[in-house]
Amino acid sequence: MSQARRALAQAQGPSAQTHGSGVEAHLSRGLQLMQEQLFEAAASEFEQAVMLHAGDPKTHLELAVCLLSLGRNDEARRQFEQVQKLAGESRYVTYYLGRLDLLANDYAAAIKRLDSVAEEPPFPDTAFHLGVAYISSGNMAAGTKWLEHAVELLPRDYRIHYRLARAYSSGGHEQAAAREYELYSQLRDEHKNTEKNVRDCSSALQTEPLATAREVCHLIYDPNDADKLTLLGQLFGDSRAFAEALEPLKRAVQLDPNSFEAWHNLGVTYFRLNQFKEARAPLEKAAALRPEFYGSVVLLGATLYMLGDDAAALPVLERAHRLNPADAQTAAVLEKLRAGAKKQ
Amino acid sequence: MASRGVRAQPRGKPSGLPFHAHFSDVAAQAGLRAPVIYGPPDHMDYILESMGCGVAFLDYDNDGWLDIFLLSGTRREGPVEGASNRLYKNNRDGTFTDVTAKAGLLRQGWACGVTVGDYDNDGLEDLFITAWPQNILYRNNGDGTFTDVTEAAGLLHPGKRWGSGCTWVDYDRDGRLDLFVSNYLVFDFDRIPPTGKNPNCNFKGIPVNCGPRGLVPERPMLYHNNGDGTFADVTGRSGIGAVKPGFSLTAVAADLDGDGWQDIYVACDSTPSLLFHNRGDGTFAEQGLLSGLAVNEDGNEQAGMGIAIGDFDADGRLDALKTHFAEDTVALYRNAGHLVFEDVTLRSGLGVETRYVGWGNGIADLDNDGLPDLFWVTGSTFPEVEWKHPEFPHKTPRVLFRNLGGGRFEELMDGAGLAIAEAHSSRGVAFGDFDNDGDLDILILNINEPPSLLRNDVRGGGHWLKVKLVGTRSNTSAIGAVVTAAYGGRRQAQAVLAASSYLSCGDRRLHFGLGAATTGELEIVWPSGVRESVKGLRADELVTVKEGAGVVARERFGS
Repeated sequence: MSQARRALAQAQGPSAQTHGSGVEAHLSRGLQLMQEQLFEAAASEFEQAVMLHAGDPKTHLELAVCLLSLGRNDEARRQFEQVQKLAGESRYVTYYLGRLDLLANDYAAAIKRLDSVAEEPPFPDTAFHLGVAYISSGNMAAGTKWLEHAVELLPRDYRIHYRLARAYSSGGHEQAAAREYELYSQLRDEHKNTEKNVRDCSSALQTEPLATAREVCHLIYDPNDADKLTLLGQLFGDSRAFAEALEPLKRAVQLDPNSFEAWHNLGVTYFRLNQFKEARAPLEKAAALRPEFYGSVVLLGATLYMLGDDAAALPVLERAHRLNPADAQTAAVLEKLRAGAKKQ
Repeated sequence: MASRGVRAQPRGKPSGLPFHAHFSDVAAQAGLRAPVIYGPPDHMDYILESMGCGVAFLDYDNDGWLDIFLLSGTRREGPVEGASNRLYKNNRDGTFTDVTAKAGLLRQGWACGVTVGDYDNDGLEDLFITAWPQNILYRNNGDGTFTDVTEAAGLLHPGKRWGSGCTWVDYDRDGRLDLFVSNYLVFDFDRIPPTGKNPNCNFKGIPVNCGPRGLVPERPMLYHNNGDGTFADVTGRSGIGAVKPGFSLTAVAADLDGDGWQDIYVACDSTPSLLFHNRGDGTFAEQGLLSGLAVNEDGNEQAGMGIAIGDFDADGRLDALKTHFAEDTVALYRNAGHLVFEDVTLRSGLGVETRYVGWGNGIADLDNDGLPDLFWVTGSTFPEVEWKHPEFPHKTPRVLFRNLGGGRFEELMDGAGLAIAEAHSSRGVAFGDFDNDGDLDILILNINEPPSLLRNDVRGGGHWLKVKLVGTRSNTSAIGAVVTAAYGGRRQAQAVLAASSYLSCGDRRLHFGLGAATTGELEIVWPSGVRESVKGLRADELVTVKEGAGVVARERFGS
């Protein structure tokens, strides 16, 4: 491995700092900050992206979603409406506007909007929010029907079981209510146990030998739950126990092939283990799922570069450079690759 | 206590409607100048130091004027000079005299909750105080003094226990007040992990006192009044002891389903809150989850601290308001009947406020417009956090939501007097009319500061009606009675409570704002089950109703 390639491999990773001033750079940085749950900072990035390119619906959409996460609902609504103006009707925007209607206690508007997209729901919890809107409006029968549908789509979401239990209770369906309460309690307990296990695992990985920590962390392992498996992989990865992270992440992508988090973390893990050949496919998948996410794109570029596939690496790293023009390491490698390409 | 990271809903446009209550803090001029000591002022290394205690408005000398009882803590390092629970006698001129020593109530320790009631039916209000490591029962001797009768009453318990909430309750309708006691968690200074020890001892990355998560919760207890000055522990046979314990704090006894039997609602911190439904045969069934009172509308447990009981929508049923930790909303539960409660927090407009840790609270008509408003006090449990995170200050303002009608509320950031915006680290709150001028004043306990006494000066001409009940077949304090007032087309229910808010006890005289109405009627359900109607009442009077005898006294204040 050349020195340059080794340096790049060491430098790239999920924590790479991003700076720059283009629209793509702001979007990328915003997404990274959203991933880290730093919503205020993310909103600021998206706002700058909007200022640079006010005609791009994508910038407004990312800003709107971020503002919704921040509870700045009126501002979020304005941004979603702007997306509609620029790009026309969209199921996704209708869903978000419906949720905003619900948060504003405008049940009639929420029902109208969410109902219009419920046949082909943009997100799996559409039926849940529609059910809540109906119940809040006093239409218990329709609300119950939609919650029943929601529970089929998201059978492990304890919130839905609780709402459904309350709806059955109000309707006098005590047996059905009891069944839902039971499921709610069971799933809620599981959720709480997972929270505790995550805290214990995280603490053990910091303070205990790996063999001991592995046992503690194994409590999170659920071969049928992609989210838990991804979380476990992340916890191992955060503690640089990359070899331990592989198995749960491999299982996670099998269970949920559309999980960006699972693919990205699997790619990062292979990369950190210097298994560049294996890292390629997961990172390609992650970059396809979130083309604006700098972390995945740059790591894919670095992986291709490490594999010696300079022709494939060049456009990917060019994209990474656009997402984060201030990354000097990437810029330097790009320069080399471009020079090499010219020679050929 | 734990943050749930809930973000506030956006605030709507202000209604612009005038609010006729105006509050001024008159504590200093009223003579309430002694600080309430509770742990060190600038850091709280133990959860015991952070939880604070309650307050009470009571009329211990039966002179018709509210006196004040303030609980107190101490410091681990040793006794603090002057720190004690304090009794202040109302001088009937807006001032109070500290009569603690004379009353025999000087005591320094980790007091927590207080419930006021006449457990021996001698016509005098007695005091029960929860505390770590031992609770105390004071019998009112009727001569301005109290006697500690804890041991004689059979209420001494072995070992150390952290009693938190407490309430008198005649659960078996035998005319005598029984006693319900919440226990928070197993606590020992020498066994609690030090600050920052584990993930349960960190907040926003700052090492803070540990708990309650990671510590061991304790079961609540129920004591039956034997009628001879002693109590029997019936925790086991009543079913109270059968529940999975939570981190129990404030306990409130009220007949929530209108079946004539007192139920008990317990705010639990970071665990589902408990509702003990009274089966009427001496036993209780825990129905928190089935009633909807255990968790919020998404099924998430909250860090329950204080409970207020009242009828915010004036539909004749008792609703509940529960306070929680910061980055979470309070929970407003609307009573839909048959022991079913709906969480209407977001629908009612309360989701806009999530900034503070909430404690003592009330559903009380503060501006006499006929619609009960919502009030709670706030204050952080981690003074250390504000050094790094100024957005989480230790001292924070009071919160007041005025009732707009139609189930909607609006937060008043100003417009009700400067005292609302004053920042303190507050805990207990009691509501009562200490100056007998026809409105509700507010007594607030502030940690390591003197208390606040918010004198309410209502303008706007709203009328009112006060009701004092005296039990005969029921306990003399009439604790557990439910009074429904009909006025101006509304029917508002209120209960005579022995404890509520946060570990506190308010004025036993019920206060109904009547708005423009000048007359009212009352439906009374006594704790004994007796029902009584009182018609043709004029506004702006305190009426005393004796069980079975109707109105026995009327008083117009200031005359």
